[in-house]
Amino acid sequence: MRVADKMNYNQSLNAINKNRSEMMTYQHQAATQKRINKPSDDPLGAVRVLEKKTEMQGFEQYKRNILSAKEFIEYSEQSLSQASEMLIRAKELAIDQADDAANGAESRSIVAAEIKQIYEQMVNIGNRKFGDRFLFGGYKSMTTPFDMTGTYFGDDAEMDVQIEKDAYITMNIPGSVVFMGKKLHQPLPPKETLQDDKTQVEVRGPSSTDPLSPTSQTIANSAEGHWGMVSTNVFEVLRDLEVGLRANDKYVVQNSLDYLDNAISQINMARGELGSRVTSLNSGLETLQKLNVDAKVVQSEIEDVDMYDLVNNLSKTQTQLEASLATSGKMMKTTLLDFLR
Amino acid sequence: VNNPYLEKQLAGEKSQLGFLSGQSTALMRLEQVYNEQQVDGLNSSIGKFFNSFRELSTNPESMPKRIAVKESADLLTRDFNRVGEQLADIRKEANGQAQIQVNEINSVTQEIASLNMQVQKVEIGGGFANDERDRRDALLKNLGELIDIKWAEGKDSTVTISTADDAILVVGNEARKLEAVSTPGRENKAEGDFDIMYYHNEYAAPMVLTDRIRGGKLGGLLSVRDGDVAEFERKIDMLSFEIANRVNDLHRQGHNSYNQRGEDFFAHVGSQDGAAGTIKINPTILGDVGRIVAGADPNSPGDNRIANMIGDVQHSKSLLDGATSIDEYYNGMVAELGIRTQNINGMVETQEGVVRQLENLRESYSGVNIDEEVANMIEWQKQFDASARIIRTADEMLDTVINIRRY
Repeated sequence: MRVADKMNYNQSLNAINKNRSEMMTYQHQAATQKRINKPSDDPLGAVRVLEKKTEMQGFEQYKRNILSAKEFIEYSEQSLSQASEMLIRAKELAIDQADDAANGAESRSIVAAEIKQIYEQMVNIGNRKFGDRFLFGGYKSMTTPFDMTGTYFGDDAEMDVQIEKDAYITMNIPGSVVFMGKKLHQPLPPKETLQDDKTQVEVRGPSSTDPLSPTSQTIANSAEGHWGMVSTNVFEVLRDLEVGLRANDKYVVQNSLDYLDNAISQINMARGELGSRVTSLNSGLETLQKLNVDAKVVQSEIEDVDMYDLVNNLSKTQTQLEASLATSGKMMKTTLLDFLR
Repeated sequence: VNNPYLEKQLAGEKSQLGFLSGQSTALMRLEQVYNEQQVDGLNSSIGKFFNSFRELSTNPESMPKRIAVKESADLLTRDFNRVGEQLADIRKEANGQAQIQVNEINSVTQEIASLNMQVQKVEIGGGFANDERDRRDALLKNLGELIDIKWAEGKDSTVTISTADDAILVVGNEARKLEAVSTPGRENKAEGDFDIMYYHNEYAAPMVLTDRIRGGKLGGLLSVRDGDVAEFERKIDMLSFEIANRVNDLHRQGHNSYNQRGEDFFAHVGSQDGAAGTIKINPTILGDVGRIVAGADPNSPGDNRIANMIGDVQHSKSLLDGATSIDEYYNGMVAELGIRTQNINGMVETQEGVVRQLENLRESYSGVNIDEEVANMIEWQKQFDASARIIRTADEMLDTVINIRRY
């Protein structure tokens, strides 16, 4: 083939250009430590990186959600554990006053005063605040849930918080459920159906009959609370006990022992539920951390540059470039003229 | 010496290279708009926006969390606006480039027309207009890189050039001008973008060539402007439109902190066209974050159901009739753009190889080789030497003859 001088020049120039642009690519990779610097470097890889970034953003958010839900739940649990202790104290007092031995109207009225105090503390617990919102008011978190008569001003709503891509956890237990024994469906149905449920709520009033009488038995088994047990209005139980004590009515006091038991187990069921939520939040947190690390590893594998590879490529290109330059210099210099002396 | 067949082939391949590199330049600009490998872009601000509602759901009563929602929404709208603007800029830039190239085409055709006349003048007298022909060939190649052309040389030694099927650019000593004119929008061409107009003669109605130019840099530029840029503009518009509508629909269903029925979260977007460039937060919400809706029911400050539902919009398969989610759609867009750019860049490289190969062939045929020239020169020098020697010998012989009588 006939070789024109321009072919030589072109070829040298092309080779040098190619080597230099390769060098530039590698240098850019070395500077950013990334293999993918724009989508066209590896379109599918670039998109996987975007997906991982979104995922990790989500993980970060779910983590924050879990932590704030956990705080709320733990605070609720703590409050209920106080409530439970107080009810146990009330029960001890009631047991003391349940028989006629050494108990007269006077001692009962002293105990009644203490029960009144417990009642008031119970209302305070029902009105406990986390930050500026009430723990037990449902969605009505800015309204004091209970007044001193034990009337509930909150609603039965459960606040769901997202803790995973497709999972929510309930943050609160409405005061109506934990203190008044209301039964809710799980999970929370839409508002309309909730209205119909109101008829199911039956709250037990005081009964002055002998606890062993058949009427009392049927009442005790009639209403079912949220956790499939007897529905109890904690405030009423305490108030009835106080009334009974003041009236010096031993049957009422005896009756309230059962009711107090129900109340204690109702509060404890709520605590148990909150505790199990915390457990699942903790495991959720661990899972998230693991997923986060996994995502980071995948992202790095896709987009980060392999240093050994890069340095290898760089030195290879460097050698090529030097070779191109050296041969070009020699080739362009030599013509027939150099040999005609 | 040159090989007309090779020259024509080379011109065709160069036109193709011009087309591809025109596309590649524009696509790489487009790609840069969506490049968030190093910095945060739309993908990240979409995520932040929906996460801010998830954060709000943990404490819907909180003012700071509402402010965070507003800020993230502001970031999102500004990012959409940025993309919208940058796409418009690319469009504008493409128009400017088209104008420049049209001017260049016009000046080249003008020059070819005048060369036509010169060649004809020289050759009609039986001569051969080497210089003029060489210059005309070079210009033809330049023109081919700008726009797809066909040309043929007539018996009168002039070339006739046509483009876009049948629009004649040069005939004899006459060049017909192209013009870049801003025209109303149609199908894939946006309002105000340049159309390439052609006039048969001074009095003829203009003919729109835009969609018929399929080669050269100008063709590449126009095909990206009316193809890829238009397509990605549509896509980003549709994405911002859908996000705004979906969030608004939910937002209107709930109640804000003043127990009023929710209003639009994003200012109402009338049509999908240009939505990305204009999307913004409803000014009343921007002015008062208490109007952000977190709950469904009035008088329920702890109600977070709407916030949860808005958070779910991010991953729900709600776009393209339920085929894809917002995240997936955006990521798909980036992938598509990346793949296209990658493909075009690959094609440019291949085409560069083809052109280089042809150029080598041409050089091999027509190019100069110093060794060869020197060798030729020496050959001629030797011949000259030999001729001189013959003359000297003849001279000596004559000398001898003339002086023969003395002896």
